[in-house]
Amino acid sequence: MTVGGGAAGAPQALDPKKIRIYGLVGSVIGIYLAWILNSVTGTNIFSFVGALAALFGVVLGANAVRRVCAYGIGTGVPSIGMLALGMGVVASLFGLNLAEQLGVGVLGVIIALVYSVVFGYVIGLIANRVMGFNIPIMEEGLFDLSGAGTMAILGWSFAISGSLAYADIVKDVFNTGFLAIIFICGGLAILHPFNANLGPDEKQDRTLVNGVMVGGMATIATGICALMTLGFAAGMLEIVVGFAVWYYFYVWYFRLAKRDASAVVGTGLLPPSAL
Amino acid sequence: MSFDINTIIYLLEIIVGGLLVGVGVHFVPVGGAPAAMAQATGIGTGTVQLAAGSGLTGLLSAGLMMSVTDNIWPILATGAVGAMIMMDATMLTGSWIYAYAVGAPFASAKVNYDPITKFSQPPYVAPGTVGQGIPTVCYVSGTIGAAMGGIGGALIYYPLVQINGNPAMSAVFAVGIFMVDAVLASWNIQGTIEGFHDPKFKKWPKAFKSCLVATIILAVVAVLITPIGGV
Repeated sequence: MTVGGGAAGAPQALDPKKIRIYGLVGSVIGIYLAWILNSVTGTNIFSFVGALAALFGVVLGANAVRRVCAYGIGTGVPSIGMLALGMGVVASLFGLNLAEQLGVGVLGVIIALVYSVVFGYVIGLIANRVMGFNIPIMEEGLFDLSGAGTMAILGWSFAISGSLAYADIVKDVFNTGFLAIIFICGGLAILHPFNANLGPDEKQDRTLVNGVMVGGMATIATGICALMTLGFAAGMLEIVVGFAVWYYFYVWYFRLAKRDASAVVGTGLLPPSAL
Repeated sequence: MSFDINTIIYLLEIIVGGLLVGVGVHFVPVGGAPAAMAQATGIGTGTVQLAAGSGLTGLLSAGLMMSVTDNIWPILATGAVGAMIMMDATMLTGSWIYAYAVGAPFASAKVNYDPITKFSQPPYVAPGTVGQGIPTVCYVSGTIGAAMGGIGGALIYYPLVQINGNPAMSAVFAVGIFMVDAVLASWNIQGTIEGFHDPKFKKWPKAFKSCLVATIILAVVAVLITPIGGV
């Protein structure tokens, strides 16, 4: 995507396969790391690690959005983000519930991820075969997106509930209505980056940095929710971590925006003879 | 996870609900960004936002009715009426803005005569645009679409509450199913449509098939969820 103007200096775009592996593996490991830290120490202070794990999913999702939407889907970028989160909600609830029913509680994350990527792939197939989109990467794009949506919802749900148990997540995230915040803020983190940066000089690194930046803001929002569900210490820590992520990536994003901005040359007023 | 005749009924209810949402989106006059600039017919926002708005209002009103009765018919009717009120209020206030603030005559560029009022349309279409405002036929079509969306949302919500007994979770789950069907349908109409008189409306069987497959996969999962630990 190095068409058009913009200053040089953007690094080579990362391979989508690499981002997929980093995104999925990173978020799964992150959520389990958060869960292990919480259960080993017997506190809920490490719940913020779940929010950081969600950021891996966000990067994967933002990259999938920019790949699919670069073809033009005709309905605007937000629709695909909402689709990702819609699939994510269904998949994460199903995964957690089924794991609990089968007696393998903590494997819910894996079940949710497997279900969501299969479902995403099927939706991609439908879009190409039935609706005739003819976007060659539609299947893998929606594979990534629905996986990313699921991991974002699970990660931030963990950040609010501090537990992977189905009953806790339903009690703290669904019954309180905080899921709506995850839905919209998480959806923004996935859909907003490409929506904000699209254009002929859209650069992968700038888009993804923007995604993590919005993810940091979503972490602040879940931190405020966590003040109510996890208590003051865990909630405040999450807000501070979210703010740190937001600030770091905001500065980085600002730098990249300046790098890619076109130089404006002042030519002065029109000469009097032209008036 | 008990599988009996009720489970099949729940499954069918969710699938029919998803299909109603998918087809209902085709009735709603969606104009997107061009309509927001009064350069196309319809409501000036995206399909997903409109479908989500009408669906959520339908869900809310259906949930309200469900707190007083368990009978499915009043619940469906309330869902439909709630969604219709939301969509009509949006179209009505949008029309005021088009008429009194933008100053555009309502005209459809897809038909020569409004199928309901029989008014001639082409003289009123501004050059360089594809119609403006929300003409009568679009208004009627949008109301029908909202009713279908509301019934669909209620039809997804009702069995979910019966299965897991948790209204909050069922609502979120219903929104998830709703989003998937609405987005698939809006991809099918490529963003903008005027209503049932639009040539694009003939594409609805494609959305029907897509939503059928998608909703079956979602519904099978939805009926497997059972309450655990009291929630």
